[in-house]
Amino acid sequence: MQNNQDVLLKVEHLCQYFPMEGGELKAVDNVSFDIKKGEVFGLVGESGCGKTTTGRSIIKLYNITGGSVFFKGIRICAGKRSYQDAMKSAKKEYGEKIKNASSEAEKSQLKAELDQIIVENKAKIKAANFDQKNCDKEYSEELVKKLNASYQPAIEAASGEEKAKLTAQYKDALRKAKKTKLVTQIQMIFQDPIASLDPRMTVRDIIAEGLVIQGERDKKVIDEKVYEMLELVGLVREHASRYPHEFSGGQRQRIGVARAIIMNPDLIIADEPVSALDVSIQAQVINLLNDLRDKFGLTILFIAHDLSVVKYFSDRIGVMYFGKMVELASSEELFLNPLHPYTRSLISAIPLPDPIYEKQRQRIVYNPLADHDYSVDQPSFREVKPGHFVMCNDAEFEKYQSILK
Amino acid sequence: MENKLQVRDLTISFRTSNGKVQAVRGINFDLAKGETLSIVGESGSGKSVTSKAILGILAGNSIVEGGEIIYDGKDLLKISEDEFHKIRGDKIAMIFQDPMSSLNPIVKIGRQLTEAMILKGKARQKESRANFNTYMADLNKSMIEAVNGANASELSAKCKNFDQFERKHLDLEGAYNEAHAAASEAVENIEVLAFELEKKGAKDVPYRVNEIIQLAKKSVHEYVVKVNAEKVTALCVELKGEISKIKTPEGDAAKAIAALKELGSILKEAVEKTAPNFFAMGYCLTYGKEALPQVSVEELNAYMRKYLDDNFMLDFIADAKKGLMYSAEVSYKNKETAIAELKKYLPVFEEDHLDEKKCNAALKAMAVAVKATINKLELTKDSLSYTFESGMKDEMNKYFGAEGKNKKAQAKYDAAKAKYDRQVARGKVMDYVVPAAQIIDQELLQKNMIRQIARLVEHYEESLAKKELRDYDAETVAAIDYLKANASGVVNKVTKRIAKRRAIKLMEEVGIAEPRKRYNQYPFEFSGGMRQRIVIAIALAADPDILICDEPTTALDVTIQSQILELINKLKKERQLSIIFITHDLGVVANMADRIAVMYAGKIVEYGTAEDVFYDAAHPYTWALLSSMPDLDTDERLEAIPGTPPNMIYPPVGDAFAARNKYAMKIDFERQPPMFQISDTHYAATWLLHPDAPKVDKPKIITDRIARMKQKGSAQDAE
Repeated sequence: MQNNQDVLLKVEHLCQYFPMEGGELKAVDNVSFDIKKGEVFGLVGESGCGKTTTGRSIIKLYNITGGSVFFKGIRICAGKRSYQDAMKSAKKEYGEKIKNASSEAEKSQLKAELDQIIVENKAKIKAANFDQKNCDKEYSEELVKKLNASYQPAIEAASGEEKAKLTAQYKDALRKAKKTKLVTQIQMIFQDPIASLDPRMTVRDIIAEGLVIQGERDKKVIDEKVYEMLELVGLVREHASRYPHEFSGGQRQRIGVARAIIMNPDLIIADEPVSALDVSIQAQVINLLNDLRDKFGLTILFIAHDLSVVKYFSDRIGVMYFGKMVELASSEELFLNPLHPYTRSLISAIPLPDPIYEKQRQRIVYNPLADHDYSVDQPSFREVKPGHFVMCNDAEFEKYQSILK
Repeated sequence: MENKLQVRDLTISFRTSNGKVQAVRGINFDLAKGETLSIVGESGSGKSVTSKAILGILAGNSIVEGGEIIYDGKDLLKISEDEFHKIRGDKIAMIFQDPMSSLNPIVKIGRQLTEAMILKGKARQKESRANFNTYMADLNKSMIEAVNGANASELSAKCKNFDQFERKHLDLEGAYNEAHAAASEAVENIEVLAFELEKKGAKDVPYRVNEIIQLAKKSVHEYVVKVNAEKVTALCVELKGEISKIKTPEGDAAKAIAALKELGSILKEAVEKTAPNFFAMGYCLTYGKEALPQVSVEELNAYMRKYLDDNFMLDFIADAKKGLMYSAEVSYKNKETAIAELKKYLPVFEEDHLDEKKCNAALKAMAVAVKATINKLELTKDSLSYTFESGMKDEMNKYFGAEGKNKKAQAKYDAAKAKYDRQVARGKVMDYVVPAAQIIDQELLQKNMIRQIARLVEHYEESLAKKELRDYDAETVAAIDYLKANASGVVNKVTKRIAKRRAIKLMEEVGIAEPRKRYNQYPFEFSGGMRQRIVIAIALAADPDILICDEPTTALDVTIQSQILELINKLKKERQLSIIFITHDLGVVANMADRIAVMYAGKIVEYGTAEDVFYDAAHPYTWALLSSMPDLDTDERLEAIPGTPPNMIYPPVGDAFAARNKYAMKIDFERQPPMFQISDTHYAATWLLHPDAPKVDKPKIITDRIARMKQKGSAQDAE
């Protein structure tokens, strides 16, 4: 991993649990990774493994259960579960220790320790709640402050007509700044291009919606931007007045891309953007995303299950299995030295356009019970080689390291 | 290889408000038994329409303009809806692209899976009995006629005896099968459970242990678990006591595992034993004078077989053979008269203007002769003779009704055209065109009729020529097997419980976790991939002959896709299934297909074995498809196909792909290329293959890939 690049998004111990009858569904369980500026991070796994949920948690469509997500260094998502768990276990420990405690002094010391832990964690929960709610507000306040600093002196210095003009400009900018959210700099492209576009809105309205919400009122500006985006994604101006049903699948997905990039985002979460498309159109959309990436230096979190596409498109790849990240490495490294048995089973399942190879291909079956012995030693996420992380325990760690040598 | 399905010159179009869309334009292909044919193309290329035509579920606005789809001697485009009911889902099943649309949202998954099994089981029971009775009666009649009515009562009695002991056989075999199935299922379950208990990862333990106990108890049977029956009961009791300990993964499972393993080994031994010959046993128990000897199964089988042969079977087979030969003789004689009859009346249909009365009379006379040729004792039905009358009648009705209809259509067109012209004359710009009048082509109908007669004559002549080659011994054995199979259909009924067990097994087979819980859920509780698996399970439940898969794995992820393809491949091998596999993903095709047809704009543009198409593609469209998908070694920019498929209301004059093709030549825009033959198995429709065409190279991305694949292949060979 190169440290000279800025980390744009940092996910730490992200947990997303959903309450279900008879317990909780751990959709995402203790997942950590970071995405650097300008890179494409691929997230693969079979359906139901939590990759989409991870994407949606990052963009705050869910309130996360535990862990935190930092975007540009600001905590945008914060969960409370880990703190609550810490409090619970401390209380339990205290209950056991107090039984064995002999003297009063020892008891009071234990009590004091417990109190301290509870106070600390309560403060953390409060901070998490605050961050979860107010990250956008803080960000917009920051923007407003900057605006004030730049405009106020100029307005005071100017006079007459110029002052009025400046004031109007200032007010417009202020309104926008107040409405700007940090999260809008993360945009999403959805899997199904038909379901993700409102059939009753024209393409212009769909693409411009984000701008309008952000407070843009000037029709001319909106139109100009929409046209610019349309041309960027390979459509023409005339398409702006049409409705989504008049387009083919690939064109619809282009509209989805245009809608995402008009907000000038720093990070795009592309949730299976090509899975629902024909092969030839897939190629068009992948080429388009590649061009945009070169042009704007976009950072993309690319969620997909088609490993050949992910390999082609991503710089680094994370493999998820049942809510857990099991392996993370650069894409070349992952395909060259897959370590975790699940990754190997995934790679062995990729179909290739080569009949002779295909007829010999043996799929490796992954059975967690047979492949791992975690009865004694629980696994954790470790760095086997610089930049190559695997979920493993001590014995496996040594085995993997010997494989890499 | 035996051809299961033949598609000839199939042409289908759709009526729309803007005009006629030509979806399929004259395609031809064969599907052999146990083979996978893959149809590849972009959406809108007509591949789904083709499959729907085979299944007879085309949309209401479709017009089948011509061609034929021949399955089992019948033309699927001509048979009635009632006949199709027997084929659709039962003989030809389909897995659709969108799983949600093929499941009923308000019926539980379990019921949807078992519904067809139970209904089909009931129908089969009735049908089997009817088949058995009619065939037995026909055979009996023919046997008596063969010997000119001598000892008729004796022959009838033999047939009756056969029926009697056949029933006994089935009772015995049914009980044995149930015990045997229970034992083998128990063995499987025990292996899995013991493994999971050892690893401390077992779930749902009490339920599974109870199930194993139930199965073990069921497997106690005279010819399955006999000697160790007491031991099995004791082990079951022991296991039951252990349940409370192994409920949680933390519990001590050592004793339970040991008990399970012992039970498993006993049952496994029982499962692997040879089964007795129940057919012979049925006879011995029904008509045998002495009790069965207490010897090993092999010796017992030999004894019973001999007893049966000596006392009944050899005799019966000889009589049955006589009957079959006689019936075939009669049929051959009738075929000769039928040929003469058909030839006599053929000129009636060849006249310039057909006379309705004459035609009807001719058809009547021909139908009588044709009907007489039908040999009821033949197991492979002569479907051409069966469908001759109805097929001809159909065409004739169309022919004689055409005049009036054509007049009406022309009048309608004239009126619309006149209105259109008036509007244009007034200077109005029209936003529509007048669709051409739908004139019924009488000439084509007449040609069809002549061809039907000629084909039947040809068919009879062929069968007469092969007369000497018939193997009556083999036919007799087949006939007796047919009787046995139908009899077993009567006894082996599908109850709700059996259907549920089969359904759960199928669900497990297609990879659904916790099938028992899932069995009672509704479709909306399943994810997309799971739904698709259910749909596949439903399609397979009917045990079809031909399976049409319309993009079955497009919505699934790699591992599941791979599992499902393996499943389909496995079933294909086990059941000699013929598969039509429709997809746009060439990676999937490489794994599945024996042969590949690439479709574009309603035509097959390239056709060959998987190796031909992947290593030696010839059509630019195939190149484009291959180069637009990345594989694991692709670094360069992908080559997307520019533009969109043509509007098929106005199909292009020349090669349909010309407009998107960077290799297109002038002739591509002017004339349609014919199918050029490249090798025995490989055909492509592109002018590039014409001897005068300039030499072009394949795109670099493909040549590179082929080189890489070859290298990899040689590396593998070296190992």
